[in-house]
Amino acid sequence: MKGKKIKNTTNLDRHYVAFAFLMICAVIMLFPFVWMILSSFKTTMDVYQYPPRWIPSVWNGDNYAKVFEMIPFLRYYWNSILTTVVMTALQIGISILAAYSLVHLRWPGQAVMAAIMRSSMFVPMVVTMIPMYLLVSSLGLVDTYAGIILPQITTAFTTFLLMSYFASIPQDMIDAAKLDGCGPFRIMTRVVIPNTKGAIATASMFSFLGNWKSYTWPLIITNDKMYRTLPIGLRYLQQESSMEYQVMMAAAVMTILPVLIVFVFFEKQLVRSITLTGMKS
Amino acid sequence: MKNMKKILCVILSLAMLAGTLSACVSQYVSKETTPAPTQAPPATQPPATGGDATQGETPAPTEEVSIAGTTLDVWYAVSGTSGELFTAQSEKFAKEFDVKLNLSYTGGSGDTATKVAAAQLNDTAPDVALMYAGPLYTGGKDNYDIDALIKTGSGFDINDVFEGMMDYCVYMGQGYCAVPYGISTQVLYYNKDLLKNAGVDMTNPPKTWDEFKTLLKDLKGKVGGNMVFDTSDQAWLFKSMLMQNGCEIIDNKDGEITPIFNNAQAVAVADFWHSLVTDGLMAAGEHGNAESTFLSGNLAFIAASSNRISRWNGTTTFELGAIEMPYFTQPSLALGGNVLVILTRDEAKVRAAWKYLCYLTNVENNTAFALGTGYLPIHKSALEMDSVKKAIEENEMYGVAFKQLDYTWAYTHFEQMGTMDTEIRSMLNKLEKNRGTSEELLTSAVNALQKEIDADK
Repeated sequence: MKGKKIKNTTNLDRHYVAFAFLMICAVIMLFPFVWMILSSFKTTMDVYQYPPRWIPSVWNGDNYAKVFEMIPFLRYYWNSILTTVVMTALQIGISILAAYSLVHLRWPGQAVMAAIMRSSMFVPMVVTMIPMYLLVSSLGLVDTYAGIILPQITTAFTTFLLMSYFASIPQDMIDAAKLDGCGPFRIMTRVVIPNTKGAIATASMFSFLGNWKSYTWPLIITNDKMYRTLPIGLRYLQQESSMEYQVMMAAAVMTILPVLIVFVFFEKQLVRSITLTGMKS
Repeated sequence: MKNMKKILCVILSLAMLAGTLSACVSQYVSKETTPAPTQAPPATQPPATGGDATQGETPAPTEEVSIAGTTLDVWYAVSGTSGELFTAQSEKFAKEFDVKLNLSYTGGSGDTATKVAAAQLNDTAPDVALMYAGPLYTGGKDNYDIDALIKTGSGFDINDVFEGMMDYCVYMGQGYCAVPYGISTQVLYYNKDLLKNAGVDMTNPPKTWDEFKTLLKDLKGKVGGNMVFDTSDQAWLFKSMLMQNGCEIIDNKDGEITPIFNNAQAVAVADFWHSLVTDGLMAAGEHGNAESTFLSGNLAFIAASSNRISRWNGTTTFELGAIEMPYFTQPSLALGGNVLVILTRDEAKVRAAWKYLCYLTNVENNTAFALGTGYLPIHKSALEMDSVKKAIEENEMYGVAFKQLDYTWAYTHFEQMGTMDTEIRSMLNKLEKNRGTSEELLTSAVNALQKEIDADK
């Protein structure tokens, strides 16, 4: 009994140490976020002060107003939300179809297609930028939402991410569905997708984040402010070669809002998919 | 607990949303009660015979054709305060001349270059652009309309523009294919408080690099471990130093570009640069942080763009000063910044575009832009203007920057000039980290650049 008590105390001590360690990690992770919020209320002098000033000398809300004065922030916000949501939905839809066909169907040239897709991941976007612009421009899609969205709806990364999860579904389940009379489409919608929700959520979040911060392509393909997105607006807030960090921070605080909401909704699936990654079927 | 976490997240999101909306409201309120942070330049009458006619010095064009109703697509690569002032001046022009301007911000210099290069391939380029390395996209495409327009003498008095600035508008040593606007040069800023506390007297500032180095060593002995000098753009400073020591960087023989920055003068400059690091006066490979270090009060001197004069003035926690850049054998400073180019070849649009460029670069508007942003005025006569004299009185750093205009220069634009800067940056990085001798590294950089020039022929 005495021995058990000692053991429990030791475990408790261990937990305290673990908690303290995790707490320090959490503070480190939260630091940039807190710093961003505090800096958004600082003056230029506060931002560059050394030693660094944590709390603003004066709580200056003008930085937020300045963001709206310098760029059509709400318009950019709406454009970012619209293009990101549509792009993410299309990317995931296409990636699911592509991943399913590459993993669970058999067709001529499948291996070659997979190799081509895989190799496309190693081509930097800057290489394809100008040919892509010429193509989209010749289609008359400059300064349109379609021009921003369509060239970005296929991603090899998302497809291969989903392929690795689809491949983990036991063949027995697929065969059982076939015996029950399911065709390929029903197998995908009734068996594969329901069993890989976590992976799809993870892929969606990666896609969303990537699309939300997409800068170069929307800049290249749009000239009209009506179609510009938030990353372009944030870039405009920079002075050439130097920054008014406090205004940038105010804009950044407002910009991360949708990302935060997406994370709240997908957090459970994301964590589950990561924890299940190492488990065998 | 889980619900609590989600509730907290939702509350935080709502708070941010409320902040966003309240900022919207305050925007509308502030617009009614307070002036915008940057005002348009003082109103000028539409010039009767070209953009600079109000000065009464430019010759009248032989024929005045109305540009009313013309539409111009304009891309610009300046943001922040500069972007606001540029668009304000542009909108004023559009209103005065009944011209429609489709203004579009196109990101930084690299983004804009990519965008313009892509657009030129399928004839979707804008009519006018404010961009870095503009001559590559006009002269490089055999477009010298600006040269012809300048020669007509209508609206742009080239004799009143600093020579070095016009040199900045030339492609491969041929005619003018751009107009200077948003030009800057490097200035040597210093932390007055730090120097005062160290007992360093700046009433007779150092003139040469050797004198400056002696001062730095003296300062270093007094302030201890801190590095005392740095630059935020090492390639820019190094090119100025090369010219100061008699090395002309490139040789242009009838359009044949040969890099020559590995001669004896260049090696001497590189050796001096290396000694700044080995003597503990400048940090190795830390140029990216130089401005932050300086603004936080941990650096005594920094060589940075003159456009920081207006941006930094009144925002530092210490008293800011500036002196003219030191030199080796002769004062000389490389120019940098943006130029205006006319990309359209449509005659009517070229006419409107030229009027627009003349308007933006007339003495009054360009000087207002310069004083509002910290860029340099392009006109010699601007230095006689009351607004400039007043600015110098109020802020001595303007006087320093404007005085340097007498010995600024620019080499001709050529296709591989971006590569040259990259090679120089890389060479300096290796030099500072002792990865070779000055001669070896300079020769390697010159060979790499020459290889690309040969490959592009």
